[in-house]
Amino acid sequence: MAARLAVDGLARSPEADRATLIRRLYLVMLGMPPLPDEVATFVADPQPGAFERLVDQVLADPRYAERWGRHWLDVVRFAESNGFETNRLRPNAWRFRDYVIAAFADDLPYDQFVREQLAGDALGTEVATGFLVGGPVDIVGSPDPVLTAQQRADELDDMVATTGTAFLGLSVGCARCHAHKFDPIAQREYYALTAVFAGVRHGERALPLPPQRAAELATIDARIAELDRRLAPYLVEPAAMTATPAGQSLRPPVDHVHNDERFAPVDARFVRFTIVATSGAEPCLDELEVWASDRNVALATGGTRATASGTLRGYAIHQLEHVHDGRVGNSNSWISDEVGGGWVQLEFAKPERIDRIVWGRDRDGIVLDRLATQYRIEAAVDADRWQVIASSDDRTPFEGATKVHAVPVYNVAAAPPAEAAQARAWLSERHAAQQERAVVAPPPMAYAGTFSQPGPTHRLHRGDPMLPREAVAPGVLALFQPVALPADAPEQQRRLQLARWITSPEHPLTARVLVNRVWQHQFGTGLVSTPNDFGKNGARPSHPELLDWLASEFVARGSSIKALQRLILTSATWQQASAPRADALRVDAGSRLLWRFPPRRLEAEAIRDSILAVSGALDRRAGGPSFLLHDVDRENVYHYQPKEDFDAAQARRMVYACKVRMEQDAVFGAFDCPDGSLVQPRRSVSTTPLQALNLFNSRFMLQQADALAARLCTEVGADPAAVVRRAWQLAFQRLPEASETIEAAAFVQAEGLPALCRALLNSNEFLFIP
Amino acid sequence: MNAPPFDPTFLHRRRFLVDTGMGLGAIALRHLLGPQDQPATASGKPPIRPVFHPGYPYAPRAPHVVPRAKNVVVIFCSGACSQLDTFDYKPELIRRHGQPLPGSDKLITFQGEQGALTQSPWRFRQRGQSGKWISDLVPHLGALADELCFIHSMQGKTNTHGPGENYMSTGNALDGYPSMGAWVTYALGSEDQSLPAYVAIADPRGKPQNSVNNWGPGFLPAAFQGTDFNATNPIRNLARPSAIAAGTDAATRRFLQRLNERHAERFPGDAELTARIASHELAARMQLTVPEVADLSSEPAHILELYGATTDGSSMSEIRAAYARNCILARRLIERGVRFVQLFNGSYQTGGEGVSNWDGHKDLYNQYRRHGPVLDQPTAGLLRDLKQRGLLADTLVVWCTEFGRMPTFQKGALGRDHNPNGFTCWLAGAGVKHGHSHGATDEFGYQAVEDVVTVRDFHATILHLLGLDHERLTYYHNGLERRLTDVEGHVVAGVLA
Repeated sequence: MAARLAVDGLARSPEADRATLIRRLYLVMLGMPPLPDEVATFVADPQPGAFERLVDQVLADPRYAERWGRHWLDVVRFAESNGFETNRLRPNAWRFRDYVIAAFADDLPYDQFVREQLAGDALGTEVATGFLVGGPVDIVGSPDPVLTAQQRADELDDMVATTGTAFLGLSVGCARCHAHKFDPIAQREYYALTAVFAGVRHGERALPLPPQRAAELATIDARIAELDRRLAPYLVEPAAMTATPAGQSLRPPVDHVHNDERFAPVDARFVRFTIVATSGAEPCLDELEVWASDRNVALATGGTRATASGTLRGYAIHQLEHVHDGRVGNSNSWISDEVGGGWVQLEFAKPERIDRIVWGRDRDGIVLDRLATQYRIEAAVDADRWQVIASSDDRTPFEGATKVHAVPVYNVAAAPPAEAAQARAWLSERHAAQQERAVVAPPPMAYAGTFSQPGPTHRLHRGDPMLPREAVAPGVLALFQPVALPADAPEQQRRLQLARWITSPEHPLTARVLVNRVWQHQFGTGLVSTPNDFGKNGARPSHPELLDWLASEFVARGSSIKALQRLILTSATWQQASAPRADALRVDAGSRLLWRFPPRRLEAEAIRDSILAVSGALDRRAGGPSFLLHDVDRENVYHYQPKEDFDAAQARRMVYACKVRMEQDAVFGAFDCPDGSLVQPRRSVSTTPLQALNLFNSRFMLQQADALAARLCTEVGADPAAVVRRAWQLAFQRLPEASETIEAAAFVQAEGLPALCRALLNSNEFLFIP
Repeated sequence: MNAPPFDPTFLHRRRFLVDTGMGLGAIALRHLLGPQDQPATASGKPPIRPVFHPGYPYAPRAPHVVPRAKNVVVIFCSGACSQLDTFDYKPELIRRHGQPLPGSDKLITFQGEQGALTQSPWRFRQRGQSGKWISDLVPHLGALADELCFIHSMQGKTNTHGPGENYMSTGNALDGYPSMGAWVTYALGSEDQSLPAYVAIADPRGKPQNSVNNWGPGFLPAAFQGTDFNATNPIRNLARPSAIAAGTDAATRRFLQRLNERHAERFPGDAELTARIASHELAARMQLTVPEVADLSSEPAHILELYGATTDGSSMSEIRAAYARNCILARRLIERGVRFVQLFNGSYQTGGEGVSNWDGHKDLYNQYRRHGPVLDQPTAGLLRDLKQRGLLADTLVVWCTEFGRMPTFQKGALGRDHNPNGFTCWLAGAGVKHGHSHGATDEFGYQAVEDVVTVRDFHATILHLLGLDHERLTYYHNGLERRLTDVEGHVVAGVLA
């Protein structure tokens, strides 16, 4: 660094003072400022190695992983809604966010971190593949084959492009349409990467039950089995309830509430429920469940798409998506637009082995009209070969409202009183056990994608999915040790091979790209200022030898991100003062040569977190489902209205806020917060009047100013000078100068303490990393 | 950096990484990290990245060449407004009403199969000197036929609303790309320094289908995003909070200014710090100016009538009047030098599938019967008013929608399905021909066949009218010199005056 500075006749700045250093370290590494006590301890530490010890302490702080996990989430375009017009929420996407934070906290070796995100399903970290499906997806279904093919091609492009940019710093996406003039990626290579991901689909995947819950479930199941055995003598066989005159048993008639269709397991990609007759008007289906042993594979959250013959117009509560949204009742049901008939078709994310279908008109049993009385249910692997798997043909014809439900029915009345009492006790015990089971059994779900063996992948002429050309086998980029895979390589193997190739210790890009990202967040700008383009379009490194050296050190130290960060933080370059020098500004106004530490504005999340930390309102609870910054209107297309009132639920760090595509936080979104639609390795830093208005006038800020005022009163009482002193320590990590104390104390007396707090939280000193 | 102690393995490690990058790898790496000796835009022309001071992102910047237009008003009909019921007259469709569209037996569009060719429920008549055929659905706009420059051969790339709106508003069907208004503001800044440079005026019924992505900054700095307000809903956080007394508010502002000045003394010459100080000043000006611009109470009765901003109490006239007030707001913004105004007609938020927008799948007649009058008089009023004030000489008015609709009715329904293969947009005002029609669809109005204009051509033309070369206006993002028109787009010379 020094040698490079000397070339331009520059020299490093002196070391920053300790109060500045600890503020800088906390803001860069933890995303919020230190407490006055922490500052005092560090400033007064006379032992050598004080800063190194502080660095170790910071790297071990749980806030470190929240801060740096957020950076990675930008790189992998993570968000918790689908984007596009429907923009529905992904309620189980947060598990990937927690995975990323845990990876930083545990200093997971970077190569392993990469492998897990591409193929965690093979490595015991299922949640990690949330990376693959973290991007936007257009879920608007249509029978139009062109649209469907285009949507799929876009999904795969998102996975290919994100993999290329996140791990390799290469923009491979432009090879989608043509061999690009400037980047060394051939169109064929692009489609080889596409083939790697061809078996990945958007959706949720069940995670293994945690061991404790699995054991609990086994105990409950054993208890139910035992009770079933004891109760067997009292079971009323379905066949005994209804019999045709010819003696051939029929199933009970269709029921408004609950109909169970069981059949021998069959492979299906599609299920179609066709209604031929109804009890009147257009038929209604409440929830349509399709079970593959213990999973309801019909759920939209699992990636299943629904289409229908038509939907009755004008009723938000009777839209098609309700037929498989997991919510029951008339208010979440589908009604056909055809009197006496209609059909619903489900397409699963991958072929499933299904054995049971459950449906009803109103699971709550309140609304009794519009029942499908004659129907057939068909399944298909390909949409042109259907087989009937269930129908109303073997049911007793429907004659008005049914009273019998197709669930096990026991008759204990005929037994002697004592025995009947015992049986009733068992029954109620069984009921309780089943309710307990319903709580324990559902596996945790994660929006981590589903996998199935794909067919052949073709190169697409001009990127047009309607113009397929030759088949392309899965593969990697030719720029480094190409790996050839057979065209029919198993799905998981494809991703594993790619992951191994990317994380090969000799790979010329992987380590450099990561080192550059770390450097960028520690200094504001990377050694290569274009962190997602190490290709010929990208900028040249400012210090190529340093990049090489750091990359080699990084690999040699076990790809430990914390070790790399410690190396950089303890350098003289990182610890130098940030004050500008006229001579140096003339030569290098952008401070690219690092003759000083370049000061910069905090990002959106760090501003919000810092405000909450300083006001004392911050809720440090980590992990778990996201909190909402919006009120959500869950129609077919989701609408989001920014929340106006804030309570403790919104006082967690912003990395735990539900990240909704397009709909930014009403106050902090304006601070160049990316929305997760595209990979965003480097945020732009703009300065706008809307930022000023949001920070100065929003309710959030006024509440926080009040909270800070209250905190100051509690901590130091009412003496204006003491209040000012404490306020400066909390917000700026320094004592006010005498003239500042006088001015601020006078201001507090004239306008009140909340006004002072409002000004401090808006000030440049508060918002900048010094 | 601290000089690392000499480490004999250091050289070895470097060689390990770079030299023994296994032959091909090393060559590729040199290639990848090699000098940039090639032009970076796909067109081969060197890029022009606008340069701006971060503190003054809206300072006016010179276009690439002398512009024909200085400002733009985009009127966006959300939901896909049918060309066949408004501006694209097809006598053959009337003649063949009730017959199948040739070749449509296997045609599957967005919602499925096709019914018969269906003529518009509205009669077309010839209008103005140009004798342009325009339907009775939009008579006020029809009366302005001689002002308008129609493009009947528009072609899109997607038949879903979200991606379609993205494509028309951002030049890319996927989410996350900068809107045209953001590109224009990034390129040109604004003539006015007390209002946002780019204003997106949502329909009074709510937001369009793809919501804020229509005016988002994408990867451009957030300074260039559209500021979202209309005649009914003010800018969020603009006003002084009611709980804060005016005196305290002003004193706090002064105190903040003092804090920032003191702080800046320690960082002389730091552009970002001065930028934030400047942004507070602009914010303070906006607090005064925006409410004044949005306050229509000074508009005289004859202007309100011109736009149809009066109501007879019916719900239809209420919606029309609310949209008309948005049109008046658009004029007031243009009058003050706002660079780019985007005015939405139609909303998904309060009713998709044609209820509150132009998505007439199932009951086109009854839906468009309500939407036509909401659009017609206010939009025509805006054009007339811009003209009578001389603003049309510098202002380009763009009317667009995400895609068109089918000449058939859908099988078993009384409306038209999506059709990106051929649709109509129009331009008016600065730099474009008057009373002119460019390009054509086939005899049924289904596919653009003559002088096809892609959405990217359309964008290239709008930038051209603003004096911007669409191949050179770039922003570096994620490995590419990004453009509004990606690697496509040709200026449509046939529409230029």
